[in-house]
Amino acid sequence: MVVNQADKPKEYWRWTEYNWFDPSRDWRKAKIISGGVDVGSVSTQAVIMLDGELYAYSNMRTGSDSPDSAIKAMKWAMENTGMKMEDLTYTVGTGYGRVNVPFANKTVTEIACHARGANYMYGSTVRTVLDMGGQDCKAIRCDEKGKVVSFLMNDKCAAGTGRGMEVFANLLAVSIEEVGEMSLQVEKEPPPVSSTCVVFAKTEATGLLRAGWPKERVLAAYCSAMAHRVVSLLERNGVERDFAITGGIAKNIGVVSRIEKELNLKALKPRYDTQIAGALGAALFAKALVEKGKG
Amino acid sequence: MDIFREWYHDRHRYAREWKEKTGGKVIGYFCTYVPEELIYAAGMLPVRILGSHEPQDVTEPHIFGMYCPFCRDCLAQGLKGRYDYLDGIMIAQSCLHIRQAFTSWDIHVPREFSYFLPMPHHVQSPRAYPFLREELAAFKKALEDWTGKTITDQDLDRGIEIMNTNRRLMRQVYELRKREEVPVTGLEAMYMVLASQMTDKVEHNKGLGEILAELPNRKLERRTGDRLMILGSENDDTAFMNMVETVLGATFVIEDHCTGSRYFWNEVEWQEDRLAAIAARYVDRPPCPTKDWPKRRRLEWVLEMAREWGVQGAIVVQQKFCDPHEADIVAFQKALQERGIPTLFLEFDVTVPLGPFRIRVEAFLEMLRQEDLF
Repeated sequence: MVVNQADKPKEYWRWTEYNWFDPSRDWRKAKIISGGVDVGSVSTQAVIMLDGELYAYSNMRTGSDSPDSAIKAMKWAMENTGMKMEDLTYTVGTGYGRVNVPFANKTVTEIACHARGANYMYGSTVRTVLDMGGQDCKAIRCDEKGKVVSFLMNDKCAAGTGRGMEVFANLLAVSIEEVGEMSLQVEKEPPPVSSTCVVFAKTEATGLLRAGWPKERVLAAYCSAMAHRVVSLLERNGVERDFAITGGIAKNIGVVSRIEKELNLKALKPRYDTQIAGALGAALFAKALVEKGKG
Repeated sequence: MDIFREWYHDRHRYAREWKEKTGGKVIGYFCTYVPEELIYAAGMLPVRILGSHEPQDVTEPHIFGMYCPFCRDCLAQGLKGRYDYLDGIMIAQSCLHIRQAFTSWDIHVPREFSYFLPMPHHVQSPRAYPFLREELAAFKKALEDWTGKTITDQDLDRGIEIMNTNRRLMRQVYELRKREEVPVTGLEAMYMVLASQMTDKVEHNKGLGEILAELPNRKLERRTGDRLMILGSENDDTAFMNMVETVLGATFVIEDHCTGSRYFWNEVEWQEDRLAAIAARYVDRPPCPTKDWPKRRRLEWVLEMAREWGVQGAIVVQQKFCDPHEADIVAFQKALQERGIPTLFLEFDVTVPLGPFRIRVEAFLEMLRQEDLF
């Protein structure tokens, strides 16, 4: 019997996984090779620093097995460098899977790591960091060294996070990397979707599509709802200049520009991949721990 | 200290055995403004009704959705028959949520005796003393009518003595928590107070006496580490306390909860009129936020404790939807922070999500400790 099988659905949520290293530098000359691994609920990043300077990193999807994801990410960051795991002087694990990084010497929470990472990425003027991760969202205030002064995390659910955006990318058959740009292609900003729950918001969006809304408008309504939600989190914790956004959603111009508009404050322009902030902070802490003899 | 944990976990067996052994009556109560002195004077055992921290589906038709998880969890215990040995139930007026748990219990699982004691809200008024004194007289009469036995001054003195001894001994344990290396963890102290709310205090006092003989020389196999205070709504979330102290290595050195210091802090001071003396104790006790206005007396008290116990960070918790506590949180966090004590706010539910709470507390502790990382 022949069954007509539908094509495997396209995975619109899939973002680019990649690795990078700086071929102009020789890791063998470094005194401290510090590693940072951020095993998040959605993505995993590994960062390698040579004496406190970024040398290599990888950014990939977290698998069902956290230890395995951590090892894969670090090995991938080392690809083509000739470096081996045992060459790492000291490694700090962070992220929701931080206790499952088998080769980490220590763990630090992603809150401290994102603040430290943002300080490196954006400079010492950063006082407010918004980390928009895969399944949670954090408003962090920090000092000129990147030390956390206060923080708040989303409490009730995962609305306003990367996972929610993935659901919308799939629903509307728009690549996750194009969602932000597309959401800005509206003449007039629609009211935000009213449900904060991802599942209910999806139901609401389905209704809007049925009512004849173009995809752009639905995405605008969702990006705007997400911006509202994180702005209220930010304001509860207090907002001070300069302001920076880390995590995957920082790459979504549709959300970022709406946050900026609501806060009436521009976010600093990223010079690095915003997803590596946590792992970068972890690698910087690893270096500090070695230097303080705590490593 | 293990005996307290056992009593807490075996609360129902304890009460049933007490009944068998003594033939006495057991009264379940809902709020710590209930004057246990009178219940002891009547020869009965007062036990505080607390939840079990399990998900349940029996209270939904009986209690509003926006009432706190604690009152819901308490009512669930009644509806599930876990307190079927109770001869009576009672409440002293505190908040609407717990009163609905009491009222619903009274309708659906009625006991032989049920009593609503209108504890005045305006405890900052001098009129609260005579008001409560008269209400205590009415309560005493209700107990006498129920048992057919008169409660004499001598009985009242016995009740006062049992309660005061218990308070004095627990205060002594708390004093030891001021030490640089504390001899009891916050979890152990929590079990101690919780157990006192559900066991015969004569026996609890005996246990306290034995423990106090050893405690000054007791060395824990752990360092005290960060000195934390925990404050807010009712809290018998032992899983949370345990996570912070064992996994994260900090210690709760003091708290402000009605399952802790607010419950036992002050004693009844002797007056010829025993009921007036008892009334004064409840009017003057560290207040529940339902009764803490127009002045915020609890705030002064919390700041004083934070100073005396050398607190480095405070975790402010609230049972979800507990409006009286919620109204205090901003003022409390601000005042603590102004005194150099960082705070972390957490909202408690029937079950606590340990993972998400762990990351918050861990990040909070890193904030206190982060010197090594820079």
